[in-house]
Amino acid sequence: MLLEVKNMDSGYGFLQVLWDVSFHVEEGEFVALIGPNGAGKSTTLKTISGLLEPQGGEILFKGDEIGGLEGHLVCRKGVAYISEELNLFVNMTVKENLQMGAFTIKDPDEQAENLKFVYELFPRLYEREGQYAGTLSGGERKMMAIGRGMMSRPSLLLVDEPSLGLAPMLTNEVFRALRTLNKRGATILLVEQNVGKTLKNTSRAYILEKGKIVLDGKSEELADNEHVRKIYLGH
Amino acid sequence: MANAATESAIGESAIDKIDQTIGESWIQKVTGWVFSAGGITICLTILVAIVASIHKGPYILVNTVITGGMWALMAIGLALLFSVMNIAGFAHGEYFMAGSLTAYYVMQPIGKYNLDNPGTFMAYVGPLIAILAGTLMCAFLGIITERLVFKQLRKRNREGWLLNCFLITIGLSVIMQNGHQLIFGADFKGILGYWDFPSVPILGVYISMDRICAFFIAILTMIGFYMFMMFSTAGKTIRAVSQDEDGARMVGISVDTVHIMTFALSCGLAGLAGASLLFMFPAYPTVGVMPLYNSWFIIILVGFGNVAGSIPGGFMIALFQVVTRSYLGEGWEAVVPVLLISFILIFKPSGIFATKVRTVWDE
Repeated sequence: MLLEVKNMDSGYGFLQVLWDVSFHVEEGEFVALIGPNGAGKSTTLKTISGLLEPQGGEILFKGDEIGGLEGHLVCRKGVAYISEELNLFVNMTVKENLQMGAFTIKDPDEQAENLKFVYELFPRLYEREGQYAGTLSGGERKMMAIGRGMMSRPSLLLVDEPSLGLAPMLTNEVFRALRTLNKRGATILLVEQNVGKTLKNTSRAYILEKGKIVLDGKSEELADNEHVRKIYLGH
Repeated sequence: MANAATESAIGESAIDKIDQTIGESWIQKVTGWVFSAGGITICLTILVAIVASIHKGPYILVNTVITGGMWALMAIGLALLFSVMNIAGFAHGEYFMAGSLTAYYVMQPIGKYNLDNPGTFMAYVGPLIAILAGTLMCAFLGIITERLVFKQLRKRNREGWLLNCFLITIGLSVIMQNGHQLIFGADFKGILGYWDFPSVPILGVYISMDRICAFFIAILTMIGFYMFMMFSTAGKTIRAVSQDEDGARMVGISVDTVHIMTFALSCGLAGLAGASLLFMFPAYPTVGVMPLYNSWFIIILVGFGNVAGSIPGGFMIALFQVVTRSYLGEGWEAVVPVLLISFILIFKPSGIFATKVRTVWDE
C-alpha cells in the first residue's frame, strides 16, 4: 500500500475541519477525492503534504509515518503536491521553475532526463521555456504546476482541483495529461469538484462531506449511486 | 474533441503572431520606459548629476559614486530581509555598527604592525582582513538573531507578523546600541585610514585610496551578489522562497535553511558596508542610525522588497544628499530626502519601479 491515512483529524488552529478520515491509495492507482465546497478536500491534501500538521491519527507513506513532518521532508520522501493556487515562482522562467521542481535530485543527468519527460508531456511548456511563469495563461499555469510536480519523479502525486477556472476544453487536456501520467506508472490522488469528468477518468473514488468520508468505491459504481447522482451529477 | 483541441491550438498561435506583429519595437520600449516613473526619476537623477558636476565641480559625481555603492549594499540586505521573510528591519544599522566595531578591533594590531614594518605585504592585505572579519562577524550575528529571535516567533505566532517584527527589530536595535556602550564605551573608535597610499587624482579631484577601494569593494560585492542569486542553487532557493514560500516547501526546499542564509547574507552585507566605511564613520553606539535611515529611504524610493532596484536607488539617494549638502549646506542633507520620501509615500506608495514582488500591502 503506497499511502494509508488512518483516523486523521486536521484543521486550522481551533477550527477542526477533518474528523476521523481514513482512506488508502494503492501503487499505480488513480484515486479521486470528491465532495462539495468546504468539505475539507484541500485540507486533506495539505495535511498529507505537510503544509498542515494533523491533529490526530496516522499518515503512512510506504509504511513510514509522515504525519507532522515538515513539507520539504515529505516532498523528499517522494510525495509531490500540486496545490489549488499552484504556488508557481512567478518571477522565474518556465525552465527555472521546472528546474526548481527537481531540487531534490542532485544528479544533473537525471534532472535533464526529467525535464525532457515533462516537455514531452506538455510540448506547450517547451515553447514557453524562457517566458516568466507569471505571464502564462491559466491552462499553461496548470501544466506548469503539474510539470513542476513531476520533475522530482514522485511516487505519489497529489493534485488539487486542476480544473478550477479552466475552460472545458482545457480541463479535458489536463485530465488527459493526468491519465497519461497514470498510465506511465504515476500514482495519483486527485481532488476535484467536477464530479462527472472525475468519475469517468479515475479508477476509485472517495466522497468527503462535512469533513467525513461518507462513500467510497469503484468510480463506475459511484456514478450509478443514487446519492451521487442526485447530489453531484444532478440527474 | 481532438479536433477542437487542434482548433484551439491554431487559434492561440494565430493570436501569438498578431501579438508579435503589433509588439513594440525597441525604440517604443525605450521611450515607454523613459516616461515611466522609474525612467523619469533615473533620467532626472542623471541630469541633476551632470548639471551639478558642471556647476560645482566633478567632486559631486565622485562623492556620490563612492557613498552610493555602500548605501546600496545596506539597502540590498534590507530588501532581502523584507522580500524573503517579510521583516521590516529596523536593527539593520546596528549590524553596520557591529561591522565597523569588529573591523576597528581587527585593524588596530594590523595598523600597528604596518607602522612598524612599512611596505610589507600586510599593507595591502591587512585592511581586507579587517573588512572580511567585520562581514563574517555580522553574518554570524545575523544567524544568531534569526535562531534566537525570529525562529522562536515564527514557531509560536504568525499573526501580526509584520508589526511584531517591526517592534522586535527596534528592541534589538536598542539592546545592541546599549550593549555596545556598556562593553566598549561610547567614545569614537576610528582609524586614520585603511590603505596608507597617496591620493589619486580623478577628474581633478584628489580621492583617497580608501574611498577608491570602498567603491570597488561595493561594485565587486554587487556583481558577486547578483551572480550568487541568479546562478547558484542556494541563491535560487532564496529567490524561490521570496516568490512563494509554500511553493518552495512543495518542491523540497528547506525554508528554515533559506531563512538562515538570508539573515547571514543580509547582515553580512550591512557589516561589510560598516567595515568598509570605518575610515569615514568611526565606530560608536549610534553610528548605524544614519545608514539605517538612508537604506530605508532607498527601500521606499524603489519599492519594498525590490532587491535589484536598491542599486540605482543607493546612488540616487547619495546624489540627493551630496547635492543638497553642497547647495543648501551641511545639515540639510537629511531634510531633502525625507521630503522626497514623503511625496513618494503619498503619490506612489509602491515605489518608482513597478514591482511584482510581494509587498507589505499583500500581507
